[in-house]
Amino acid sequence: MDVSQYLEIFIDETSEHIQSLSDNIMALENEPDNKDVVNEIFRAAHSLKGMAGTMGFKRMQHMTHDMENVFQEVRNDTIKVDSDMIDLLFQCLDAIEGYLAIIKETSDEGTNDNEAIIQKLNGFLKSAEDATAAKEAAPVEEPAVAESDSEVGEKKFLSLDLEEKDKKKLREAFDGGQKVYGMTVYIRKDCLLKAARAFLVFKAVEEFAEIIVYVPSSQDIEDEKFENDFSIFFTTEEDLDKVVTAAKNVSEIEDVTADAVSESLLVDKTAETSAPAATVVEEAPVTAPAAAPAKPAPSSSAQAAPKKQAGKPVTSRTVRVDIEKLDALMNQVSELIIAKNSLVSLSANNGAGMQNQSYQEQIEYLERITTGLHESVMKVRMVPIESVVNKFPRMIRDLSRNLNKKMDLIMTGEETELDRTVVDQIGDPLQHLLRNSADHGLESAELRKERGKPETGTITLKAFQEGNNVIIEVGDDGNGIDTEAVKTKAIERGLVTPEQAENLSQKEIIDFLFMPSFSMAKKITDISGRGVGLDVVKSNIEALGGDVEVKSVYGEGSTFTVRLPLTLAIIQALMVIIGDEKYAISLGSIVSIEDIPITDIKYVEAKEVINMRGTVIPIIRLNQLLDIDPPEEEQESLTIVIISKGEKQVGLVVDDLMGQQEIVIKSLGSFIDNSTKIISGATILGDGEVALILDVNTLM
Amino acid sequence: MAAFIESNDVTEEKKQFIAVKLSSEIYGIDIGYVDTIVRMQKITRVPKAQSYFKGVINLRGEIVPVMSIRLKMGFEDDVFTNSSRIIILKIEDQGKLGVIVDEVKEVVNLGSDEIDKPSHDAKENKHSFINGIGKNGDDLISLFDINAMTEEN
Repeated sequence: MDVSQYLEIFIDETSEHIQSLSDNIMALENEPDNKDVVNEIFRAAHSLKGMAGTMGFKRMQHMTHDMENVFQEVRNDTIKVDSDMIDLLFQCLDAIEGYLAIIKETSDEGTNDNEAIIQKLNGFLKSAEDATAAKEAAPVEEPAVAESDSEVGEKKFLSLDLEEKDKKKLREAFDGGQKVYGMTVYIRKDCLLKAARAFLVFKAVEEFAEIIVYVPSSQDIEDEKFENDFSIFFTTEEDLDKVVTAAKNVSEIEDVTADAVSESLLVDKTAETSAPAATVVEEAPVTAPAAAPAKPAPSSSAQAAPKKQAGKPVTSRTVRVDIEKLDALMNQVSELIIAKNSLVSLSANNGAGMQNQSYQEQIEYLERITTGLHESVMKVRMVPIESVVNKFPRMIRDLSRNLNKKMDLIMTGEETELDRTVVDQIGDPLQHLLRNSADHGLESAELRKERGKPETGTITLKAFQEGNNVIIEVGDDGNGIDTEAVKTKAIERGLVTPEQAENLSQKEIIDFLFMPSFSMAKKITDISGRGVGLDVVKSNIEALGGDVEVKSVYGEGSTFTVRLPLTLAIIQALMVIIGDEKYAISLGSIVSIEDIPITDIKYVEAKEVINMRGTVIPIIRLNQLLDIDPPEEEQESLTIVIISKGEKQVGLVVDDLMGQQEIVIKSLGSFIDNSTKIISGATILGDGEVALILDVNTLM
Repeated sequence: MAAFIESNDVTEEKKQFIAVKLSSEIYGIDIGYVDTIVRMQKITRVPKAQSYFKGVINLRGEIVPVMSIRLKMGFEDDVFTNSSRIIILKIEDQGKLGVIVDEVKEVVNLGSDEIDKPSHDAKENKHSFINGIGKNGDDLISLFDINAMTEEN
């Protein structure tokens, strides 16, 4: 079978299962006795096994099979969950992730058998076997085999809760000496017309048999009031196989199970008949002796099955879409907006001929539509950061063990949404920051005690939206950055003279940590490593159009604030004119636009500032910054665009305003040196002219 | 049949170059790099960029940086005339790049026997952008080394 077309789905779903396993194993560590969690893990391992098997990944299948077996024993209470097992499970998880990584790259699972892990798993199993042998209970293998039949094949009709009138009908049939059969039909989950399929099944069955009981009732089935399966009881003189084949021939039927039923079905409503009992023990506790099949299993086993069915989530109404298709869609929307902008500027410039009112109305209509379309496409591309951050609790747990420090990770705002492209790339920088906090931020337990802090360190990851940005804060209540040590280091490295260093602000000192290759010497252990990789973090985040800041109080902890743009491709911008050039400023960072008389400009430390409602704001003359000739005569008042980043504000002096516009951000490419980062990109205006986009964040 | 094979051989050996004029010299650009040739249009200056970058243009909705070969090679600045053109080069992995030339003359076919190695003079900077001298009849064509031209000085 050629399975390559399923590879992507396999990779996606495997990742989901791995995540689910990881979450649940973490939960299990906290409450080792929670059966729901155990079942959840068992199910995930089972699904993984099935999927790996289908795709022909034997090693992965082997590993998950053994995991499943171990959990079978946990479910049966023959093995206790302890920290050794949790560790081993995490190792398994890593191994499976390893397989997945190789599969992603090469479409093959590689050759690592992970013998050591499998042996350890089997070690657990063996201890379980010993335990079960002592108890004279079912062998380890059997339940696993039963499970591999999967729940679809279950003979549900044996464990149904029959209503009185149905029982009566059945009893009549038994009394009449007719052969009564039960049948459970499983319809494929993706089937849309379940009632119609059910009807076809009835019709097929009725060719050979007489249906006496429907569960749920025929009315409910007609109204589609059932999940993915229904059961019937019928009498027939024909061969059972014939009936089953007829039912199976109906399309979109997943599986059909049927068997003869005897009167004992009516004696105990949850009883099971002879032959099938062995395959229904799936949920049965080990105490149910498999060797005595005729004996009815305890009612708990039978009830467990329907409960499981009911707990299944309704198939979600979503579609998986290749990100490339979304990118293509986004590009087309961008082009559309550029075309729309051209129309708008045409109608604005071409006064007389285009004054037609309905033409104007249509243009406005078009504007609304394109804006709406853009927003919709943007929303489609937005995904919660959850998919990235939910691997962090596990990472912190591992770090906590490796570093031998107690720490808690508190995450909030996992539901915050970001563009898919950003989310895909934000994982590494965040991981880096968290590691930093765990490794270098948090102090040792003794030092924490000395400082009067709780022994368990706290690391926080907080995400929220702020205007056009998403802020992710990674903080710890640890040591904080020892700025004195950083300063000394900077002087040692010859980055600043001791005199200069005296005048450096706290922020300027911390900025040294973001310089490439600025790593603190080993002996200053408290902060060593603070510099390692931080430059990479910074450049990664800047590549996404964001930035990163640090606030730190020595002895109390540090907070890294990562600011990311909500959208990448299209923004609302204010167009401004400086000299004869046009520039765009993202509306998201603009606070207000002010007309300031030239006399209101004051000087602080030889720098121009304005006093705006009690706040002193430095101003930047953009024409100087951008090497544009200043206007020939000094005006009486200046147009100042006030922008903000966090709490900081700066005023930008421009010559004129063009108005607000939706612009499509395009890259300047790799040839042009843009090391100052003042220009974050370019856009094409309605008349085809190119305007550059100012990254005002770099000005503060 | 024999003729067919022969002509095939010829096209394999010969390389095509776009002959362009810069100042008074003729230069050749390997046609393999050329994406398209456009007329001079408004170039948007990019502040703080390298001095030999004139800025960016809108090439059918795409932003393409435009470089002055003259400034790159240390000649005097371009004078835009009616015959000035921007040759859009497509550089692998780095995208498109426009270069300004005074005039586009023609497409020439040069066989390997018609291309000489340049006489290298390390002191003279402009020679480092040339990786061959083509002989097109009586005319000499300096062939640009596109990779050297797109690298930072």
